[in-house]
Amino acid sequence: MPIEVTELCHSYKKGTPFEKKVLHDISLRIEDGEFIGLIGPTQSGKTTLAQHFNALFVPQQGRVTVNGCDTTDKKADLISLRHEVGYVFQNPDYQLFAPTVGEDIAFGPINQNLKPAEVENRVEEVMAQVGLDYNNFYNRDIFALSGGQKRRAAIAGVLACKPRILVLDDITAGLDPRGREEILEVVRKLHCNEKITIIFISNSMDEVAELAERIIVVDRGRVAFNSATREVFRQSARLKAIGLELPEIMTITDRLSSCGYNLPDAILNLEEALQSIAENLQKGQVSD
Amino acid sequence: MELTKNITLGIYLPGETSIHRLDPRTKIIATTLLIILLLFIRSYEAYGVFFIFTAAIIYFAGIPPRFALCGLKPMLPVLILMWVFQLFLYSTPDAEVLFSWFIFTATDTGLHMGNMITLRVLFLFTVTTMLTLTTSIVSLTDGLESLLNPLRKIGLPSQELVMTMVIALRFVLILAEELDKIVKAQMARGVAFDRGNFIQKTRKIFPVFLPLFINAFKRAEELIVAMEARSYSGGKGRTKMKTLHMGRVDLAAGGIMILYAALMVFILFSVSPRI
Repeated sequence: MPIEVTELCHSYKKGTPFEKKVLHDISLRIEDGEFIGLIGPTQSGKTTLAQHFNALFVPQQGRVTVNGCDTTDKKADLISLRHEVGYVFQNPDYQLFAPTVGEDIAFGPINQNLKPAEVENRVEEVMAQVGLDYNNFYNRDIFALSGGQKRRAAIAGVLACKPRILVLDDITAGLDPRGREEILEVVRKLHCNEKITIIFISNSMDEVAELAERIIVVDRGRVAFNSATREVFRQSARLKAIGLELPEIMTITDRLSSCGYNLPDAILNLEEALQSIAENLQKGQVSD
Repeated sequence: MELTKNITLGIYLPGETSIHRLDPRTKIIATTLLIILLLFIRSYEAYGVFFIFTAAIIYFAGIPPRFALCGLKPMLPVLILMWVFQLFLYSTPDAEVLFSWFIFTATDTGLHMGNMITLRVLFLFTVTTMLTLTTSIVSLTDGLESLLNPLRKIGLPSQELVMTMVIALRFVLILAEELDKIVKAQMARGVAFDRGNFIQKTRKIFPVFLPLFINAFKRAEELIVAMEARSYSGGKGRTKMKTLHMGRVDLAAGGIMILYAALMVFILFSVSPRI
């Protein structure tokens, strides 16, 4: 199910005095099974762009095709398209509405008109996928959940529709380090085990550097970068000009390089960093 | 999908026109006067004059007419329903029957009444929207408060009352934005809001309103904390950063309003009402 976007434009509040152009001529393509990091400063248009992928926004100008289905087509079945492209919103409070976790997760499959037994199976399956214990959480009150558990319930609610593409809109915002790690682990597994295409919107460069294979940077409604993660983080000067930081790990390795370490540029995670530092120390290149 | 696009009530459109610069008290009194006049209008001639005046306000305030009116779009079904009700249910003994169908009978007085009432709601909405479109929320508060201040003596908590009203107005847009997000979250899970019969459609509303109410309560609580953190304690002893004062524009506006009201009163009495 590739997503293809061609010359997409979008204006917010079109036709009113508050009209503001938020997307300018965006063209890109997302292949099956990719892990895309979608980043950009706040107000850059990343959410608006991503909401075009499951036809929550229909192009005002340009085209968006998902698996060959043009979302501007009047006859297109947008409902089943939305089951194929799952979207997890930033704030789970907007999504969760049922009294209990189980009922909320079952909402999507029920909309797909599945049989009750099948719905139950799905709920059990996705609860296991996101790490919510079925017996313990099925009847749990939604409002008694912690922030991290709410996020997981929200992801489960979307996964229950069996999407092949999953858009995750800043799902780690406001979580404590442990909750964040747990959520990221869930995402990693979905991508590796279920081969779900992931579009990961985030404000954290560390997360994106660690997880994404390709990065799309949106700046003021235009695509500023669209290449492999390492390629993007090599261009630190341009990133900084846009207003984005480098991953934490890179600021450290950059400092070490300037102190005489011989490290490759654009180190993306802790293991890579440790390995190359260890190599340096073994060769005894570094003098203090 | 943008629900907030058609909301104009409670939105301020910044501008530099003389209508924007009017003292909020002038605008509030003028709006009240216009509303009172509207309640007495019973003829098309009077509506004609009223239309010209309203159009002039929209023109001089530099508000795009389409934007001033787009807030009416969501109200359209209610307006039509109201018109239909009047058409079939209102009649006088000497009324002429236009047509009848089943147990319903439409009369000419019913038609007239329907037109009058629909136009009245239309203009009421437009006039009040013009007030909020050209007045920032801060000056609206100040103006209302200063107008209601004399009533403090008889025990009316004017400042608190105005604060409540302004917050309610401000929340129209905030809640609409939240509704937008919630609707999208539901659509993303395969809800088709535009499909199904009436009962099916109504059932789809519940999953939307539950989170909306919960979020509204949450927001209210946050607002209370924010206000208390800044030691808000009602109107007693509060001073203003900007004091209001009436200028020459207000004098001119007052003059125009008096002339206009006189004209309207003349029309209201000279043109014989049909009912």
